[in-house]
Amino acid sequence: MTTQTADPLDAAFAALADPTRRAIVSRLARGDATVTELAAPFAMSLPGISKHLKVLERSGLISRRRDAQFRPCHLEATALDGALDWITTNRRVWDERFDKLDVLLADLQPARKRPRRARG
Amino acid sequence: MAERGGAATGHPGELHFSRVFEAPRELVFACMTDPEDLARFWGPAGVSAPRDRITVDARPGGVFETVMVNDADGSEYPTRAVYDEVRAPELLVWTESHSGMRVRSEFVALGPQRTEVRIHQTYVPKAFLAPEAQAGFLSSLDRFAAYLGGLVAR
Repeated sequence: MTTQTADPLDAAFAALADPTRRAIVSRLARGDATVTELAAPFAMSLPGISKHLKVLERSGLISRRRDAQFRPCHLEATALDGALDWITTNRRVWDERFDKLDVLLADLQPARKRPRRARG
Repeated sequence: MAERGGAATGHPGELHFSRVFEAPRELVFACMTDPEDLARFWGPAGVSAPRDRITVDARPGGVFETVMVNDADGSEYPTRAVYDEVRAPELLVWTESHSGMRVRSEFVALGPQRTEVRIHQTYVPKAFLAPEAQAGFLSSLDRFAAYLGGLVAR
């Protein structure tokens, strides 16, 4: 349905609007990684990367283990699913609506030329 | 027979749907603004949109209210919107009150018996109007969906 709350989606979309954060998410899609590992491909300080990780963490897209020494980052695929579901569901709703409208239009113009019958 | 399409647009934060119907533009437009007709197609598969709970006041500032009811469990999805622009039989624009989502429906006559309906749905403008988003990646939600799909599939 189209009524899913938009707030988590806002957070996910906003978090992914930044190219560095998208690169981080793409890297984490291949497996968990520490901050040092994530920082390696970027000409960026660890605090700089940490700032991006905080945004991603707040958006629910990634989580960080508290128990492990290097606190590896983990991609929360379900948060991505939420964003993806919203978009695909919206498309499906319109597709199915228009399938029904197609049938209705055929009903309303059986001879394809008759003007639409007036309703009381 | 109707054709379907969903090409990505270049506008930030838009979902774009289009469909070609074998019917005159006036008739297609009428179906989108007549509660009797809306009741017959507004709910997607497995979902009803009862006639007595549809309100259409098709003029700028007028309300467009629907309640979709899930046939399986009776759960209800009310939507309240306000029309921004109404130009029969070519254009309808409304904004959903709870989400701020703007839906623009264009009715394009391809022939006397052939009409294309183009839906442009603008979502989360604040996220998409960020300078980073303007850079191109989020130029459409379709591309965004493809990107997310690629990540999830890995």
